[in-house]
Amino acid sequence: MFSFTREQEILEISNTKIGGQPGVYPTVLFGGLFFKGEPNCETAEKYLNNMLNLSKRTGNPAIPDFFIRREEYVEKITNFIERVLPKSQPFSIDVTDPQVKLRILECLYEKNLLSRTIYNSIHVGITDEEREALAKYTPKMAIILAFNPKDKSPDGKIEVLENGAHLTDIGLLDISKKLGIKKILIDTAALAPGDNTGAAIAAIPVIKEEYGLPTGCAIHNVVEKSKWLNDFESARKTVDASSNVNISLFGGDFAIFGPILNADIVFPTVAWQDILISEYTENYFGISPDVNHPRRKLF
Amino acid sequence: MNINIKTCVIGSYPVLTDTMELMYGYFNGEEISWDKYIQCAVSDMVNAGLDIVSDGQTRDPFIQIFTRKLTGCRIRARTEIVDKVEYNAPITIKDQKYVRNLIPNDKGLTGVITGPYTLSKSCIDLYYKDEKDLAFDFAHALKQEAKVLQKHVDMISIDEPFFSNEIPDYGKELIEIITKDIYCPTRLHACGNVSNVIPELLEIPVDIFSHEFKASPQIFDVFKEYVFPQKICLGSVRSDNTRVESVEEIMEHTKKGMEIFGEKIVQLAPDCGQRLLPRDVAFQKLKNLVKVGEKING
Repeated sequence: MFSFTREQEILEISNTKIGGQPGVYPTVLFGGLFFKGEPNCETAEKYLNNMLNLSKRTGNPAIPDFFIRREEYVEKITNFIERVLPKSQPFSIDVTDPQVKLRILECLYEKNLLSRTIYNSIHVGITDEEREALAKYTPKMAIILAFNPKDKSPDGKIEVLENGAHLTDIGLLDISKKLGIKKILIDTAALAPGDNTGAAIAAIPVIKEEYGLPTGCAIHNVVEKSKWLNDFESARKTVDASSNVNISLFGGDFAIFGPILNADIVFPTVAWQDILISEYTENYFGISPDVNHPRRKLF
Repeated sequence: MNINIKTCVIGSYPVLTDTMELMYGYFNGEEISWDKYIQCAVSDMVNAGLDIVSDGQTRDPFIQIFTRKLTGCRIRARTEIVDKVEYNAPITIKDQKYVRNLIPNDKGLTGVITGPYTLSKSCIDLYYKDEKDLAFDFAHALKQEAKVLQKHVDMISIDEPFFSNEIPDYGKELIEIITKDIYCPTRLHACGNVSNVIPELLEIPVDIFSHEFKASPQIFDVFKEYVFPQKICLGSVRSDNTRVESVEEIMEHTKKGMEIFGEKIVQLAPDCGQRLLPRDVAFQKLKNLVKVGEKING
C-alpha cells in the first residue's frame, strides 16, 4: 500500500466520486448487464436493485455497466435506464460495435442521459464517425482502454495514451480531450490468461503516478478465460471476486467486475480490502477515509 | 559494361492498420498477429517485380522497432533511455523468417537495422549523459541482432539518416562494430543531402552506399570527385512526394547515375523508406522502378 507523489484527480459524476490517493474514496464497482442474448429487463432490475443495495451497505459506489451488443437493443436498454435507474445514478455503456456506439450516443443525448454517462470505451479502434459522434454528443465521463497491440507492458499502455503507438494520429488522452471529454478514467486493459496479464495490475500505480487519473481494469476478464479454473469449479466465483482486490491493493480506483450477479460476493470482498488499505494509509500517511468509505460504514 | 542491377527497397512500406480488428482481437482474447500487414507489404513488393524485398517495417516506425525490444529503452512520446542499452532477444528475426517463407526462391531479402547513431540521436537520454557511450551501446546491441539476422537474409541494410547531417568522428567505428565479421553483404543507407559528409562516408566499412540521388541530385557531383571501392544503390524515385515518376524519367536518372558510377551501381531503389506514401503510389513507383531495371539489364 502506498501513496502517490503526483496529485491525484478526484472525478465526480452524479455525486459518485472516483480517484484520489489510496484510502480516501472506496473502490467504484462496475457490474455488467446484458452480456448475452436478448436483454432481460425483469431479471436485470432485480440484480440492479441488489447491487445498489449492496453499494448502500458497503459504501462502494456501484455503476451499472450496460453491455449493448446490437443496434436494436439501444432503445430497450436506454428505456430501462430511464425507467429503473434512480435519477442520480451514473451508469456506463459498454459497446464494441462502432455502429452501435454512434446510435447509443445519439439516443443518450435525446433522452438527456449524457450527464450520467460513462462511455466505455475510447481505444485505438476509434473511428472518424465515432469521434464526430462523441464531439456532438459528449458524455460526462469516458474510460480510455489502454490496450496497445504492439506492447502489452505498462510502458506500452502509457505509449498508447501518449501517442496512440502510431496507430492513431495522436494519443488517446489527447483524442479524448479534443473531443471535449473532461473526465477521463483509464482502464489498463487486462489481457488473456498468460498474455502478460499482470501488466494490467502493475500498470495501475504507474499510470496513476504518471497522470494522476483514476485508474482501474476488468481483471475479471482474465479469471473468466482461465481454463485451468474449470478443474476447481467451486472456487471460480471466489477467485473471480477476489481478483478485484488486486486493483485496490495496487492503488486503483475502480473495478469492472463482470456480471452483475457476482455483486453479492464482489462488494463485501472489495469493501474488506478497502478497509484494510484505509487502516494502513491512515496510520502511515495520515489519510482519512471519506464519510462513505466502507471503513466508516461497516465499523 | 557488365550490368546486373537489382531492384529493391530501402525498408519501410505503407501500412493501413485495421485498428478495430486489433481491438476485436483484444475483446475476444485472441493473440494479436501482424502477419497480414507484413504479407500485404511483401506481396506488393513481389507483385511489383522487385528483386530484393524487405519485411516492410510495418510494425512500427524505424526507431521504435528496435527501442521497443532493447533493454534500457522506455517508449513514451519518444523513446527514453532509462538504463544501460543491451540486447535482450532477437528483434526482427521472426518477421524475416516469415517473409522468407512468403517470397519465391528467386527473390532476395534484405534485413534492415536502424543505425546506432540515429537511434542515439532520436532518443531522450535520461541515463548515460554521454551521447557517444549511448551510441556505442546501441552499436553493440545491434551487432547481436546482425549476427542472427545474417543467417536469414541476403543483405543487411543499416539505416543511418542522421549521417546526412553529420558523421561524428566515431561514426565509422559504430558501423564497423556491426559489420565486422558479418558474412552477408552490408549496405549503409543515409538519406538527405550527404554532400558535406562524403569523405567520411567513404571510410565506412560497408559493401554498398545507398542515398537519395533523386531528391538530392547534387550528390552525384560530389561523389564523382572520389574514387572508392564500394558499390552504389541508386535512389531513383522520391519517397517524400506522391508524384509517380514515369519509366522514362527513372531511366534518364539511372543513365545519369551509370555515366558517373558505371558498374558500381548494383541496386535501384526508392530514395528512402516508403512508409509515408499512399500504398497505391508506393506500389506504382516500385513497378516503374522494376521496368527500368528490366530494360537496363536487358
